[in-house]
Amino acid sequence: PSEKLDLDEWKKVMKSGLQVEVSETISERKELSTLAAARETVEMWRLAGRSVPENISEEQLKAFVECPSKSSKKKYLKYLHLKELYKKNDKRKMDEKRERRLETQEKASKTDETRKNSFTCLWASAMDKTHNWRAAQSMVFGQPLVFDMSFENYMSPREVANTVRQIVLSEGCNRKSVDPFHVHFCNFKDNSQYHREFIKHYREAWDKLLITVTDQCYTNVFPKDKIIYLTADSPNVMKAFDHDKVYIIGSMVDRSIKTGVSLAQAKRLGLETASLPLEKYLLWNTGAKNLTLDQMMHILLTLKDTGDWKKALEFVPKRKYCGFVGR
Amino acid sequence: MARFPQTSQQGMQALLGKCRVLWPLSRCQQLFAVSFNIANREKVSYFSFMTSSSTALPVDSKGTEAFPTKKRSEIQYEGETAWDEESKKISEGKLHFYSSGAPKKRLVSHVLSRHKFVEVQPPEKPLQAEEWSRLRENFRSPEIFEDVMFNSMVRCNSPIDVAKSLLTYVAKTDGDIRYNLLVKYLALCVQQGKTAEICDVYDIMKIRFKILESGAYNLLIRGLSNSDQWRMALTLLEEVRKVMTPSRTNYESCIKAASRHQEMNLACELYHEMLAKDLVPTLDVLQAFFDFSRGMKDAELQKELFGILLYLRENQIYPHRTFMRSIKLWFESIPGENWRGHLTTIKDRGQCPVCDHQLEDSDLTEEEYNNLRERIITDVIHGSDTFRKTSPQEFEAFQTFVENRLPFDIVIDGLNVSHIKPRKMQCENLFHAVDCLAKENVRLLVLGRKHMLINSSNWNQEIMKEMQNKADFFFAENISEDDAFLLYATLRSGKHCKFVTRDFLRDHKACLSDSVTRHLFRKWQRGHQIVFSPSVEGKHINFLPAFNYDCVVQTTGDTWHIPYKDTFEERYSYRVPRKWLCLQQK
Repeated sequence: PSEKLDLDEWKKVMKSGLQVEVSETISERKELSTLAAARETVEMWRLAGRSVPENISEEQLKAFVECPSKSSKKKYLKYLHLKELYKKNDKRKMDEKRERRLETQEKASKTDETRKNSFTCLWASAMDKTHNWRAAQSMVFGQPLVFDMSFENYMSPREVANTVRQIVLSEGCNRKSVDPFHVHFCNFKDNSQYHREFIKHYREAWDKLLITVTDQCYTNVFPKDKIIYLTADSPNVMKAFDHDKVYIIGSMVDRSIKTGVSLAQAKRLGLETASLPLEKYLLWNTGAKNLTLDQMMHILLTLKDTGDWKKALEFVPKRKYCGFVGR
Repeated sequence: MARFPQTSQQGMQALLGKCRVLWPLSRCQQLFAVSFNIANREKVSYFSFMTSSSTALPVDSKGTEAFPTKKRSEIQYEGETAWDEESKKISEGKLHFYSSGAPKKRLVSHVLSRHKFVEVQPPEKPLQAEEWSRLRENFRSPEIFEDVMFNSMVRCNSPIDVAKSLLTYVAKTDGDIRYNLLVKYLALCVQQGKTAEICDVYDIMKIRFKILESGAYNLLIRGLSNSDQWRMALTLLEEVRKVMTPSRTNYESCIKAASRHQEMNLACELYHEMLAKDLVPTLDVLQAFFDFSRGMKDAELQKELFGILLYLRENQIYPHRTFMRSIKLWFESIPGENWRGHLTTIKDRGQCPVCDHQLEDSDLTEEEYNNLRERIITDVIHGSDTFRKTSPQEFEAFQTFVENRLPFDIVIDGLNVSHIKPRKMQCENLFHAVDCLAKENVRLLVLGRKHMLINSSNWNQEIMKEMQNKADFFFAENISEDDAFLLYATLRSGKHCKFVTRDFLRDHKACLSDSVTRHLFRKWQRGHQIVFSPSVEGKHINFLPAFNYDCVVQTTGDTWHIPYKDTFEERYSYRVPRKWLCLQQK
């Protein structure tokens, strides 16, 4: 250890061995186009260890350049970064799963025994058929449930995407329920942002969905006195689920809280409003009282089937409440 | 800060659990080792550098004194603060300041994340490559060894030679040094003011990368502007400008450097450039101008500084105590002008006790007034959808109601007033308030909601009837916003009209779409809002009258009156300072 340390040796290393590259970089250093410059910046941020995606597409880069402020740029990059991470993880898990499946198949092929069963294994498609049958029934006999699609202007593109995702989930759980609602999309404009997002999700299945889509307002479709608009801002609290009423859910996700937008809509049309009795049944902890659309769907379905508020309100996220009142 | 005499691991852990200070043990011991030796102030600055965000300022328990801002900004490199995981771990030191008030949730999450927290003690002397590699081998997760080591070096302010030896080790083994390590090394150099090293690192980065990112630029500019190479910081600023908008701290460093070297023209130029880019200058920058122009006789410069004072006026910014002192000293140092400054408190009348000067009132001009009224109608009442706060029919009804009974002298927010004494019946509270105000033969308007007209335990209809003889009443729908009506009625009645509510009206101010109108609103609110509070005995109600004067920086040419904050921390927007600096020319 008596050897003398050369503390600046790292500088030599960094400077030497790079001489070749130096000349290149200098000749390369021209005026960069904005996109190229942006790509460069993102790359440097990645090197500095920030939450930045490794790969960024041309389209995303454009969106990045158009972000109005530094913090929105950072947020957007972080969002892309997380998205990338999730995708990677999913892919890794899929690969692992496939490997495992292959292994088990190999084992199975070795033992090779034929199982006896009275049913052929057609679960997925058979289930689909049943669900569709029920949904078709609901389109004739079912209780209507309306999604009000008139809030596009209040939302950012990302919020619209979130909304549509939530509706897709709700539609799914409705179809799988014992007694589905007859789902209506009202005030639905063709070629709207909603429409485009739905097509992204459903592709060809969009035209085969067993729901009613209309550009009409619900007030034209149903008698006014039958309609109840569900909104967290409503002063009226829902007491019991009414099987003769038409409930309306506003298709809106508000990441920045916009109070009274759906209440305003109901007021304008002179409709009855109601909110869920969250305070009455739950010891509220934190979070806004507005729930996601799929949670609403779960709650309404449970109410329709059982009329049991406690059972229905199990679908409120656990983090939002500490427990049930009086339990 | 509590000191723990025990160092046995278990005892320490128990204590830590109780006191909700969640550092890993090694780190704690090391911190205590440090904190036993240094004086209080230094300790504070040491911590604040770790938190490195200006909002997490440690509270100086002793001080009424404004917190010196130089301390808090000793080092901040953007790249590390808000972004990567490691920095979150670094800033865990911040927890310390939450101690008793820390919410449980946060604590739980930190307990969970604790196992991820990796920490090493940097060596005191430069090590040989073999020694580094041994350390690395023994480290729990060797892949991030260098990063963790550098972070703790920055935190402990290790000698720069140690960092160099680590870099040499990395360069030898990998043949290259990653960008983020270079940035971290740079942070260490900046922290210790090693100008030559900073330049060297810059040269290397320059060769190696086409452009740098903002974290490195911030460090370079900060480091160089504090040295005799400060002109290089300016060229760097130029370079930053080519790729992105420089941050306000970039400008801050450069302006301070320029003014420190008496290049006031350059400083002013940078300052204007910064304003043109919509960057909000820190109070530090503005203070630097006053600090470094002391005793100079330069008409241009003087104009600039007056411009800064007017900037404070326009944006309703109040300087803190140290800044105020710089202003005072500068005024008093202008050769041949004979300014004298006095600190004073101004009472409700608005007369300065020092020079007997009457302060400006907060009346708006005719144009401003009309503008504000229009904007209240369009932005606050209608907004994106009239139905959100009221309905068109209701608003129209209200408008005709107001037009028929104009002008009012005082408009009362009935529901707000009715809640002042929680033990009393709501309508009694309101009755008291109306009674108090009605004596002086003024025209009153009380705004309420329809539910007040239904007999209930809180709303006795007989009392309500009696009140309606003394004042005009308007009852809005139960789901409408009555505050918006309050604003409209007051503004419609004219400049003399005041309103009564305890509400700060911040949500309505926020509805206004541009800052100019928001400032107008604040000014108008200061001059027209009457706030009340129940007196201690509970017999009657005290009204805090609206200000007769406007609380902004103001001048008459040969006098200046400047309100200031006593402490550094941000005052609530609704509270205005009572302390003033009075400057007059003898």
